[in-house]
Amino acid sequence: MQHDNGLTVSLQSPTSGPRLLVVAGDLDHHTTPRLRAALEEVEFGPGADLVVDLSDLTFCDSTGIATLVAAHQRAADAGAALLLAGLHSDIARVFQIMGLDQLLSLYDSPEEAVRALSK
Amino acid sequence: MSPASPAEASRLAAVRRYAALKTSSGAAFDRVAALAARIFRAPFATVTIVGDDTVRVIAAHGLPPRRGLVESLCAAAVRHGGPYVVEDAWLHPHAAGDPAVHGEPGIRFYAAAPITTPDGEALGSVNVMDVRPREAGDEELACLRDLAGLVMDELEARLATQHTVEVERELRASAERLARTLQRTLLPPALPRVPGLRAAAAYHPVSADEVGGDFYDLFPLDGGRWGFFLGDVCGKGADAAALTSLVRYTLRAAAVYDADPHAVLANLDAVLQQEHAGGEAPAPYCTAVFGVLQPDGDGFGVTLATGGHPPALAVRANGAVEPIHPVGGQLIGILRNPRFAQVSARLNAGDALLLYTDGLTEARTPSGSMLDEDGLTAYLAAAGPTSADDLLTAVHDLITELGSGVSDDTAVLALSVPPATRTPSSGSLGAA
Repeated sequence: MQHDNGLTVSLQSPTSGPRLLVVAGDLDHHTTPRLRAALEEVEFGPGADLVVDLSDLTFCDSTGIATLVAAHQRAADAGAALLLAGLHSDIARVFQIMGLDQLLSLYDSPEEAVRALSK
Repeated sequence: MSPASPAEASRLAAVRRYAALKTSSGAAFDRVAALAARIFRAPFATVTIVGDDTVRVIAAHGLPPRRGLVESLCAAAVRHGGPYVVEDAWLHPHAAGDPAVHGEPGIRFYAAAPITTPDGEALGSVNVMDVRPREAGDEELACLRDLAGLVMDELEARLATQHTVEVERELRASAERLARTLQRTLLPPALPRVPGLRAAAAYHPVSADEVGGDFYDLFPLDGGRWGFFLGDVCGKGADAAALTSLVRYTLRAAAVYDADPHAVLANLDAVLQQEHAGGEAPAPYCTAVFGVLQPDGDGFGVTLATGGHPPALAVRANGAVEPIHPVGGQLIGILRNPRFAQVSARLNAGDALLLYTDGLTEARTPSGSMLDEDGLTAYLAAAGPTSADDLLTAVHDLITELGSGVSDDTAVLALSVPPATRTPSSGSLGAA
């Protein structure tokens, strides 16, 4: 199958609340370096959390998964939360089979993730 | 046919070199013929290649496509060396008897410029014909020579292209051979014979020239037990192949040391974590199912551990299909403190077990949705396989049906206990 949707990554830092990284398109070994670069820009610390909005993620291969897992671990090490939101049901299913649902916090929408952080 | 002179033999060798081109016709040559006719204000023009006893028309203008005229003159033109003009064919000793001269359409005038290779061999000519006798102007003949030059340039370009395509094809074929060889080293050449068990395995690659990271094996352990595993290393190509070998040998070695499936996966995880400690992100990982078979009465006890891998499916003697899947096993090699879950079950007489990689369950059905475990379960329940070989056939049929919906390699390992010969099979214990 051809995955040629490309990938766009944009970081939004609202004045209040967690930062939002919007990832749209296909995450594969060609495009993952862009996500990795964007994640490396993000400073984590206690309370400096990140919500990754994956609502428009159309494909995620093993390199994409490894990159999200690595970012999650870096956030946890710094005492921050990294939340994934809006995962398409097929990709969520793959995450579940890999046992990643036990590790990563998955939310239906970015709004829900933000609400969970404010609790 | 008389034997060709050395000069003619060399010319024919050149013709064969270019005539082998499947594309030695087409719009470019048709335009050359049309232009030649217009320059001479003549009704007919052709581009011809002269073989040892045939004149092949590769373009024609004013005539039915690929039909020639005055073949005797076309043949004479290539042996002439330079532009060849017959002002009145009626007065020409060879041409007067040509049906196109004394019959329809009654050709009188003929002018040709040879199509000559860089090393001087005339392959054929660009020809112009008229139904009235006339002279050819110097300017017209110079144009005709240029047109013949254009035809030669085009043939050269096509020959070069064809050569490139052949080189490309050869490179591709050798890459495919290498990939197949490499793949064979990653999969066991044949499964061992296990008393009281049928075992079968298959590998369904999506692409012949890309090595995938799927692996499986079945091997003896102490105390009459057997170990088996199947899994998938992330990524493709040489790196994935190297990691696949590491995973296979680690699993086998770990099982000899301590065959507890959970311990085997934990061991593999430790080895993979070390393998890329401090390395470039993203780190490679794998998913796997590891199991131990313990002969027990007319069947086997099975202990299975999984790390982030899709559920193994049991096809019971009564036709029921159920997952044998410890809940909660995680990816191997990249997580901190990963969990590997373990479960025990039994394979009774007539039961079968299928292990597969996610190339199968992540395949798209014609409706566009993922096949998933449910789709596979339903397919197997309908197909009703009763042995390891049957299971493999069912999976093969399913992959064939899914066609282009399958976008990743699939490895399958099937185990089955032959049905009891006398008594009907007893009730099966499912996943514990």
